[in-house]
Amino acid sequence: MTLARRLAPLWLLAPYIAITLVFFIVPLLDAIGIAFYQTNGARSRVWVGLDNFTFVLSDPDFHKALINTAVFTLGSLFIQLPLALGLALLLQNGKGRVTRVARLIIFSPHLVGQVFVGILFSVLFMPRFGLINQGIQSLIGWGLEERWLGDPTLVMPALILTSLWMYVGFNMIYFLAALQNVDKELVEAARLDGAGPWQVFLHVVVPAIKPVMIFVVLTSTIGSFQIFELPFTLLRGNGPDNAGLTIVGYLYQTAFTAGDLGTGAAVGWILAFIIFMVGLVQIRLAGKGGGA
Amino acid sequence: MRLSFPWGAAPLSLLAVAVLAGAALVATSAAAPPRADLVFALFSKEHKQAYEPLVAAFAAKHGVRIEVQHADMRALQSRLQSGFLAGAEVPDLVELSEPAMGYFTKGPLNDLGFVDLTERIRGEGIDTIIPQGRFAMWSTRGRIFALPHDVHPTALVYRKDLVAELGIDVAQLATWQDVLRIGRTVTVDRDGDGVIDRYLLDLPAEGDFGLRTLLLQRGGGLFNEQGQPCFDDENAVEVCVWYAQASRGPGRIAFPAGWGQQLSKAMSDGIALFYIAPDWRTRQFELDMPHLSGKLGLLPLPAWEPGGRRTSTWGGTGICITKACRNPELAWKLINTLYLQTEGMGERFASSNILPPFKASWELPEVREARPFWSGVAVGSFYAALAPDVPANWVTPYTELANGKLNEAFNAIAVAHEAGEKDLAAVARRELKRCADYVRTAMARNRFMGEAP
Repeated sequence: MTLARRLAPLWLLAPYIAITLVFFIVPLLDAIGIAFYQTNGARSRVWVGLDNFTFVLSDPDFHKALINTAVFTLGSLFIQLPLALGLALLLQNGKGRVTRVARLIIFSPHLVGQVFVGILFSVLFMPRFGLINQGIQSLIGWGLEERWLGDPTLVMPALILTSLWMYVGFNMIYFLAALQNVDKELVEAARLDGAGPWQVFLHVVVPAIKPVMIFVVLTSTIGSFQIFELPFTLLRGNGPDNAGLTIVGYLYQTAFTAGDLGTGAAVGWILAFIIFMVGLVQIRLAGKGGGA
Repeated sequence: MRLSFPWGAAPLSLLAVAVLAGAALVATSAAAPPRADLVFALFSKEHKQAYEPLVAAFAAKHGVRIEVQHADMRALQSRLQSGFLAGAEVPDLVELSEPAMGYFTKGPLNDLGFVDLTERIRGEGIDTIIPQGRFAMWSTRGRIFALPHDVHPTALVYRKDLVAELGIDVAQLATWQDVLRIGRTVTVDRDGDGVIDRYLLDLPAEGDFGLRTLLLQRGGGLFNEQGQPCFDDENAVEVCVWYAQASRGPGRIAFPAGWGQQLSKAMSDGIALFYIAPDWRTRQFELDMPHLSGKLGLLPLPAWEPGGRRTSTWGGTGICITKACRNPELAWKLINTLYLQTEGMGERFASSNILPPFKASWELPEVREARPFWSGVAVGSFYAALAPDVPANWVTPYTELANGKLNEAFNAIAVAHEAGEKDLAAVARRELKRCADYVRTAMARNRFMGEAP
């Protein structure tokens, strides 16, 4: 092999490597340093040691953001994923036009983007005039003036409902793909051995789709911890009493609204650590559960 | 002839796409024109339209080229902030909206990207022809960095026809306690379906602009003149307790009508009768609800105590010269033309209903003109009469944080009210202090603002 041929992959990768270095690696390394300074943009910085980290970790707003994000993540995992799996099971065998259209309809909210969905639902959730309140009022004769986005106790349910509409279809596609790869003969054999539908699902289907489940749980967890645009556009900020403040929202607030990139960088590192630890625990737990 | 590429067809295709895309980019990109003598960025389309003829005349008179750029308010602010921080190119002149100045004043004064206008404003006596309080939101550490565009006195707009039908004498709405008392007789479920059909007032249930506006009227605010948080004083306690009783829980008299179509519907259907309205909002009503022509009235805000202040303020725009400006003298002349000359100002008022800040303009015919939409009332003169009483609104880098914390405290007070708490003032004192202390702690962390004013 000639030298030119051996170097070819490097040449072809060079633009990607250069862009990654300039826009990812260097800022990442810079963020380590910045986290130990108080900054006013790039011009002024003062060494503060661990002060940014101690401030963030003791800040009640950060605690609130952490709790909100955890609640949202749990909502995503325990409501959204079972729903996505249920829909996938429901639609996996259908070959007709209706099934295909249903799949498309359920998946389509994901195509429009978080900002659009945020704005759309801010209209749907309007007190008195919004479609959701009007629907609830006509069904149960109550709820016309409920302030979904104005009452701190209703903000998180509204946020979870909105994200359900947006992401259920997306996760359903993963589960559909996984279900179509389940060995039909294994399912048939289990049925012949007298297994009921629930036993087949639990002992044949779930182990078969487990790698995809782990992947979906992991990506949903990471995505939920990084949620920002949806609450920001839905609530036009952090919501009443910071009820919609997420960790990334807190990062945005400190780094860009308050202009303190140092504290923002510290929040970023804390978030990275949290996601890493949660991911690690999930992978460990999944491993302990036994493979397929 | 067979095409041969040593690394295979896929890399060849990628290379071809890259070369073609690069060539297309070069071919379609026109050479950038040289920078104008002045680049003026603003966030309001209406302002841009209003300024353009004046800017054109100014440019012709001085033989210069001026470019007026429009950008969304948030985009303008964040781009400007990024430009200052990174040392990138920024406009020469910028119109900002309240509380934007706070974003730029967190660091040392030397880092601030705007020209200090204090000496010019005082030297030319501009501070004597514009209400003093209007400089508050454009100042930091005793220095002024923008010239105010407006006064934004605030009043109540009300459904005159419905109020007359109900037999309400608006003269009786002299204090906010009167409003609460009369409001409870008006706010009713008329058809017995469990949903209130008519409220006296439109107020956001989360506090927000309504709470801030009333707090300013009471003589309080988020910050005092020294830039210290003051939203835990007795003014704030009184306003928050009243606001909680008016907007939340049983006995409430206010409906959150919101914005846009929701507001138009609430106003058209008469769900709320009175609306807090600075001068700029009256133009929105004219444009969005032409069918209400002749059905709306204007009323000064009820006072907090008999004989007290009957107005407040909500919002504000100011114009700044950036330090990157290559011709600050020319920029200052343009500011004078746009902000301090009566030429063209009457038309601008007629198209915006925004009262200019300098007092001589309040006598312009357009300002004094009676409007059929407002049942023959001269909107300009009505607001001009309130303008001298407009309170100062001090803005700091922590205004947005303080605003969020005020809303947080208010929510706790309102929840206590909804739960039937008897000593609401004690709850208000505790919650407001907790939230103001949070802002104080955040401010104490700032190592850049210790400069003497």
